[in-house]
Amino acid sequence: MNILVCFIAAPDLDKLIEEDWVIDKDLQIDTSFLKPTLNSYDESAIEIALRLSDASQKTKVSINHKALTIASTPATTILKTLNALRFKQVVRIDSQDDFRFRPGAIAYILSQYVLKHATQDVLFLGRQSTVGENAKTHLLVAERLGWPCITQVSGIEVIDENHLVVTSQVDDGQIRQKIQTPCVLCIGEVPNTFMRVPTIKDRMLYGKRPIEILSTTDFQLPDETEELLDLKVISHERHGIFIEGETPEQKARELYKMYLKERLEKI
Amino acid sequence: MIYKGILNGCSTDIATQAGELNNFISDNLHSEDTVGSTILFYSEKEQRDALIRLVPTESVKLVRITRYQPENILKALTTMEQGEMTHLYLFPSGFAGSEMAVRLAFRMKGSSLVQVKQIEYSGVQLIASKTVYANHVLGTFKLTKKPYCVSLAKGSANDQAINTRDKLIVTEYDMTHLHENQFIKASKAIPRKQASNLTNTRFLLIGGNGMKNKADTQYLKQIADTIGADFGVSRPVAMSGWTSLHRQVGVSGSMTKAAVCIVAGASGAAAFYAGIEKSKFIVAINTDSRAPINKTSDVAIIDDYKAVLDELVKVMREDRPI
Ligand SMILES: Cc1cc2nc3c(=O)[nH]c(=O)nc-3n(C[C@H](O)[C@H](O)[C@H](O)COP(=O)(O)OP(=O)(O)OC[C@H]3O[C@@H](n4cnc5c(N)ncnc54)[C@H](O)[C@@H]3O)c2cc1C
Ligand SMILES: Nc1ncnc2c1ncn2[C@@H]1O[C@H](COP(=O)(O)O)[C@@H](O)[C@H]1O
Repeated sequence: MNILVCFIAAPDLDKLIEEDWVIDKDLQIDTSFLKPTLNSYDESAIEIALRLSDASQKTKVSINHKALTIASTPATTILKTLNALRFKQVVRIDSQDDFRFRPGAIAYILSQYVLKHATQDVLFLGRQSTVGENAKTHLLVAERLGWPCITQVSGIEVIDENHLVVTSQVDDGQIRQKIQTPCVLCIGEVPNTFMRVPTIKDRMLYGKRPIEILSTTDFQLPDETEELLDLKVISHERHGIFIEGETPEQKARELYKMYLKERLEKI
Repeated sequence: MIYKGILNGCSTDIATQAGELNNFISDNLHSEDTVGSTILFYSEKEQRDALIRLVPTESVKLVRITRYQPENILKALTTMEQGEMTHLYLFPSGFAGSEMAVRLAFRMKGSSLVQVKQIEYSGVQLIASKTVYANHVLGTFKLTKKPYCVSLAKGSANDQAINTRDKLIVTEYDMTHLHENQFIKASKAIPRKQASNLTNTRFLLIGGNGMKNKADTQYLKQIADTIGADFGVSRPVAMSGWTSLHRQVGVSGSMTKAAVCIVAGASGAAAFYAGIEKSKFIVAINTDSRAPINKTSDVAIIDDYKAVLDELVKVMREDRPI
């Protein structure tokens, strides 16, 4: 079964301090000093793909898993790690373009990649990117390919070459479905799917395997139907009064007496 | 402008969906030349009348289906809406709403935006805002192609009751003939056992990654029980499997509005904070005086959360039986 995991790396925005949140005239925020980290939903997608591959001896369905990102060079460290984790192939579609708010363009490139470069049975994408927060790419890829899509996926079992059992979250619970490929699976919140760390040996043996690099110029992009006009930093400041005291016990007493007692009595 | 709200009456969260649409409509769509109606999908005949009472507009199309399956709903919507002059389709904030907004726009050659907070229509384009950069920044976007398909930001429903009015027009459609999409070979719904009780909590204690392990998470849950608070967690705690996912607070979990919210051992990331920003009073307990949560709280204690909370339990016990 051919599985393609599409992922994006972005700076860990929680590492920025207040002064770093400056929006320039081109509506950019400088995050170049932070190293890119994997989007957490994509991290789950990667770990799930690796687990399906681990289980292939049992299921007798061989898993051909590939990871792909559309990004500039800083993503290379992550690509090397994916190589060391023994993804069958790791691909980067090179681009310096500003795709932050262009899920339509990303979806177009991804779908063209599947149609023209490498046939797939299943695509894994994450629920939402960190910077763009578009939450659209997986749906647009599915639409472009004419494939069905299951969102908020939390569990996947391989049944045979063409069938999967997929558990996903819906608005009032969960649903477990046996489905036929091809399909797009959008990975949601999945506890205990932190990406494994490759062994040093695997890093040495596989980490330096070549990364396939394509260029976005190979793809003609569609017009956007949504356009960014403005960005404004959101401020949430409150009083932020520090409760002073010599010991935690003193502070707790002060907290209760001065701030909580009366409020809790009204609840 | 002509708009339509789309509701999924097959889901048990229908009242929240309707509440969200109702608030959004009253905040954003009040100009005189605005005409709105609702399309409501449902499957249980007995629920028909109760569902109609939730509808936030005066006119409603009721569409009966066997099961809410996205591929089929899209088919139904594109068929029903072909040739209609609708400018704007509004979907609630849930998973189904966001999925439908994007896919319907694609099929109808329009534009879409999800998790939208506010809109403004100029006659030629729709201006809409939503959070970006993991909730740190508000982005304003121009949607250029009609129909505009928009899903709402989570937590936009307040307690404002829906004005139960006599519905003027109710049109009924039967689409129970729509068969399950071919790609699904079997399916089984697993209803939620524990409804998230956090959305309506009055007193909330939240534990973050500062708890470090499952045992500490259980310990904090006990403290919450003792002081009569509901217990929530930040995303890393849920992702580590230290507690069940339904306790997660934040943009990808519950959006709460407690009277008192105590946050222990969470740094106060923007994506988390969005889940507590509507609290009346926020207390932060954190060992790091530079953690962002200190500034976005009403009061902050810089100390170990265990030491502080153990003592808080004692004082509360001394003061009144808990
Ligand atoms: C698209 C997207 C959606 C997201 N959705 C959510 C969401 O819904 N909810 C959510 O929570 N996060 C969400 N996040 C993640 C969010 O950005 C943060 O990573 C997360 O909130 C951090 O959790 P935390 O504060 O518990 O952990 P950390 O950032 O690790 O903070 C732990 C804190 O505990 C303090 N601490 C440590 N030990 C102690 C002690 N003994 N006593 C007191 N304090 C102590 C530390 O000083 C630190 O401030 C999302 C991120 C993205 C990109
Ligand atoms: N540049 C990219 N390259 C590969 N996949 C991407 C890229 N951007 C987004 N995706 C995928 O689309 C998902 C949703 O992103 P978004 O629609 O931007 O919120 C991500 O979790 C990734 O799986």
